[in-house]
Amino acid sequence: MPVFYKKALRYALTLITIISLNFFIPRLMPGDPVINLAGEEISFNEDQIEIIRKEMGLTKPLGLQYLNYWKDILQLKLGYSYHFHQEVSRLLFGRMQWTLLLVGLSVVFGAFIGAFFGSRAGWRSGRFGSRLSTSLFLFFYSVPPFFMAILFLYFFAFKLGIFPLKGYYRTGTLPDIIWHLVLPVLVLTLFTSARNFVIMRGSVLQEKNRLYPLFARAKGLSDKQVLNRHVFWNASLPLITLIALDFGFIFSGALFIEIVFSMNGMGTLIYDSIKALDYPVLQGAFLVIALMVVSANILADITYSLVDPRVRHQR
Amino acid sequence: MKQKAPSRFKGLMKFDQEAGRFPASRAGMIVFMIFLFIALFAGILAPYGPNERFAPFESPSHSHFLGTNDMGHDILTELIYGSRVSLLVGILTACLATGLGLVIGLVSGYFRGITDEVLMAVTDIFLMIPRIPLVIICAVFLRSSYWLIILVLGLLWWTTTVRIVRSKVLQIREMGFIVSAETLGFSKFHILFSEILPNTVFVIIPKFMLTVASAMIAEASLSFLGLGDPSSKSWGMMIRYAFERGGFIRDMWWWYIPPGLCITVCVLSIVLMSFSLENSVDRFTDIFRGLIPSFTRMRRD
Amino acid sequence: MEKICLLYWLTSFLIQTLVQAGNFSRETKKLKMKRIFISLMIFLAVFLSMNAAASRERESKQTILRIGTPQEVKSPNVFGDYNLSIFIKISNPPLMKIDSQGHITGLTASKVQMSQDFTEWIFTIRDDFWWSDGTKFSAEDVLFSIVYTGKHYPYAAWIKNTLESAALVDENTVRIKFSRPYTRLDLEFTSYNIFPKHIYEDIPDPMNHLNSGENIGFGPFFIQNIDLNAGVICFSRNPYWQGRQSHINGFEIHIYKNTDILSLALEKGDVDTYYKYASSYPYANIERLKKTNKFDFSTKLNIGLVFMAFNLKQGATADLDFRKALSYAVDYDEILLLDALGFGKNPDRGFVPPSMAGYTESEDLEYDPDRARRILSDAGYADRDADGFLEDRKGQEISLSLLVRDDWARIGELLENYFAQIGIKTAVRFLDLNSWVAAKDHYDYDVLVARSTPWGMFMHANWGTGYFDSRRTGQGVLHNVDDPSFLKLCDEILASGDPQKLKDLARSVQRYYAEKIPAVALYWNEIVTPLKKEFSGWKHSPLYGIYNIDSFISVRKTE
Repeated sequence: MPVFYKKALRYALTLITIISLNFFIPRLMPGDPVINLAGEEISFNEDQIEIIRKEMGLTKPLGLQYLNYWKDILQLKLGYSYHFHQEVSRLLFGRMQWTLLLVGLSVVFGAFIGAFFGSRAGWRSGRFGSRLSTSLFLFFYSVPPFFMAILFLYFFAFKLGIFPLKGYYRTGTLPDIIWHLVLPVLVLTLFTSARNFVIMRGSVLQEKNRLYPLFARAKGLSDKQVLNRHVFWNASLPLITLIALDFGFIFSGALFIEIVFSMNGMGTLIYDSIKALDYPVLQGAFLVIALMVVSANILADITYSLVDPRVRHQR
Repeated sequence: MKQKAPSRFKGLMKFDQEAGRFPASRAGMIVFMIFLFIALFAGILAPYGPNERFAPFESPSHSHFLGTNDMGHDILTELIYGSRVSLLVGILTACLATGLGLVIGLVSGYFRGITDEVLMAVTDIFLMIPRIPLVIICAVFLRSSYWLIILVLGLLWWTTTVRIVRSKVLQIREMGFIVSAETLGFSKFHILFSEILPNTVFVIIPKFMLTVASAMIAEASLSFLGLGDPSSKSWGMMIRYAFERGGFIRDMWWWYIPPGLCITVCVLSIVLMSFSLENSVDRFTDIFRGLIPSFTRMRRD
Repeated sequence: MEKICLLYWLTSFLIQTLVQAGNFSRETKKLKMKRIFISLMIFLAVFLSMNAAASRERESKQTILRIGTPQEVKSPNVFGDYNLSIFIKISNPPLMKIDSQGHITGLTASKVQMSQDFTEWIFTIRDDFWWSDGTKFSAEDVLFSIVYTGKHYPYAAWIKNTLESAALVDENTVRIKFSRPYTRLDLEFTSYNIFPKHIYEDIPDPMNHLNSGENIGFGPFFIQNIDLNAGVICFSRNPYWQGRQSHINGFEIHIYKNTDILSLALEKGDVDTYYKYASSYPYANIERLKKTNKFDFSTKLNIGLVFMAFNLKQGATADLDFRKALSYAVDYDEILLLDALGFGKNPDRGFVPPSMAGYTESEDLEYDPDRARRILSDAGYADRDADGFLEDRKGQEISLSLLVRDDWARIGELLENYFAQIGIKTAVRFLDLNSWVAAKDHYDYDVLVARSTPWGMFMHANWGTGYFDSRRTGQGVLHNVDDPSFLKLCDEILASGDPQKLKDLARSVQRYYAEKIPAVALYWNEIVTPLKKEFSGWKHSPLYGIYNIDSFISVRKTE
């Protein structure tokens, strides 16, 4: 029980630290945020900039800004974005939905595909099928993501013309959305599954050398049963932490996919906000991500202890 | 003297033997050596100087094997010199990241107690920082040099190494030879660096290699976004200019495919090399003992 | 049509699952997998082709012009979003416009009068406009918009601060009086859109007001729908429009995040033309489009240009001879070829391009490195330590700090090369927008590469003076000239209304640029717009290219 409290305390402290970092980091970036609202147009002068600066609350002392920050966080008021002309929470929510769809699907698919094929490849590592899948997934692991995204787009959407070139949808019907999402989800899944594949394979290879698979064989289980009932679950432990982290970072989006496929997601939101020095949006986004990551970690800890009896009984 | 030379040679042979069990990883090692060679001897291998300008947008020909880019630079020359920057960034980042992870993991695992808790908490925080946005922030903040990319990436990636090192140290510190060293009165730091350190190094070598690979891809991705060093001629920057200056739209595949391919193949070779190491880390204890004489004092229960 | 597709899709999916669930007798596992796999593939193929067919069919029913743009719209806020405010120039046209001759004429206003001292302006509004919801457009909307914009739009605060009175003289005339003279108020009002009073008087905070549905307009078209997740803004015909009827039923603006992908879409046929404010279609992508033979290309010389400006206060560039030498060091042919792929002209010393009204010829800018070196050595710069680089008269090695924004990284490299050729060492700094602006404002540079937009060229006292007059500060301007003779020139232009006098003053300005060299134009580029052969009747405006009302009214689909 005391261990549980210690862990809870550590998570709470981590969260508080991250939330505070969230406040300071954007303010440490150089450049005047008011400037960036203007862009290249030259039709206004310095007086107007000062007015806007005051409206944004940037003239108050840093300490006061910090206190106001905490007050707002606890009320779930994430501020207002001058760059996007909306409440930050509304902006985030809109983007989060689609990012969840895009990245969430890829993480789930990638987890299953990677784990499945990885375990098969590790279990029967000498066979041709395994070598083929290993080479294939290694290749996808090594290609730079943006490169592959553009090549896929060029080939499937342009040259072959079977997929659209941009957007989450055109008419908004379900088949239309699916049609638009196929290519981006495919590319992302290839990447996540490649990484999962490599890890799963290595893990299964290590498990193969242990005694218990041999014992299970001796008991009379077939190869496949040994793999599916015992080895797979034990080998999946290192993968679980990684997938949990993936879920945690879902809301940091997939920047390259979003740019290549012209999709409005969290990735481009964060990127645009950084370039525009939009403090409120950045803070809101980081907060959301931090919360997700902490919860994902807690979930991973729980899952880990459920799956691995050794961890369960260690306390 | 006579004893050392054969054992070192034997060590190398064992490495090769080990790698031979996974022929792909031997291929990986060879390919990586080729890239290293190209990077080191770029000046001799490249057909032209890196800043020489010719007619722009030329297709591949006898004099320009991969044609020329939008500024008239020979693409093959750019490719060869690009290996330097890409490899440098990758290797240095990995050194920084694994070095940092190693030190923190050692200290945390050996001294335990409050130090351990604090360091682990710090690691947790770093783990939870979303990497890509933070990298973008720092790259936007101070962008002109690739040293900065090395610094930022290195400071973000040590977290995974720490965990591995720490668990290994926890394992080792209970072993007989450590206990006896402590009883004999050696200072904690001495034990840490001359007994424990050598035993943990092998664990992180595969991690080191994978970090090199990840760093290379990250640098390419950052350059593609426009956050890299515009004056460096890394492979990522080449791809970026190829897309930005119309190489892609003009189907000049000899401009954007080679650097992409180079990154892929280089990363692939590194990953393959780390493959064999990962699978038989224990075996390598023997091999490295042969390779590095000072580690012969190592004992295993 | 979509409903049928959906039904078809659902039924085939159901059939699939039923088929797969059953287990044919004597069928091995392997065969079963094969069967499922093949049926899945067939299903996928049918699904994809149906979707593609559905999208194609939708497009052939009406004549909808599709415009692709890389300009991102950040939020469905027609009042506050910068790019959206450009797009609504069709639905909510401003008071004035700049015609193809470069003169400021009325758009929504039919007549403009101003008082002698330029503090009072009277706009007569055209009588035949109607809002798309049926309400009659009136001068009240104009009056309301002027005050409202001044009150809420941050960059129009000058209206709020200096407006003394605004009132209707009669049904169709608005009189506004300011506390200080504005000689070029009509220019300012080419950029402010007009909003419906009966809707916006109930909106207290327009900068925060989002409306992704219908936004009414009084132009020939109005916004039907803004869908940022699909990246499309739909404009439909204004049913109450009294002017000449357009030949298209509506148009769509498709937003792409990546210009290359946009080019592909253009080629594939997903969009019919390309538009980006004050920019040309990327030169590198032109050739490929030409090969498809489906496009005509219109080329107009840009009013804006790319140039390098100098620090006139400190460092080596404070010396006129030094600047002169630098102006001979640049290979203008090569820069035009490499940066604009030859789409443009070599500039002359007068800075202002021929596309701008008031242009007078000046001496051409030449590439003559020998002459540059001679000028430098005559002026006392020599390479005493024989390291290949010159020192100044005091013996200190010259190292020019050259600021470039990332968009022009290649130019930075080229300039570094050119200057090295004449013995000047350059340190190039690549900066993002913020750092660039900060460095520029603190005169933390020797040479600066910048771009002027058409709007920027018109600003202040016209002919680019807005960039150089040190009394004008702001994000994109250089404010590096404080020479009293130049400032006097600007004031004279601002005070004068006589066209002949203005012509003379324009000549003086260009002569000043040629003689005093505060900046050197690097090239005058052409704005190339790809126009699908199916559509004809495009009209160009200096400020907004093909995106203007005349264009959308006269453009038609030819078969």
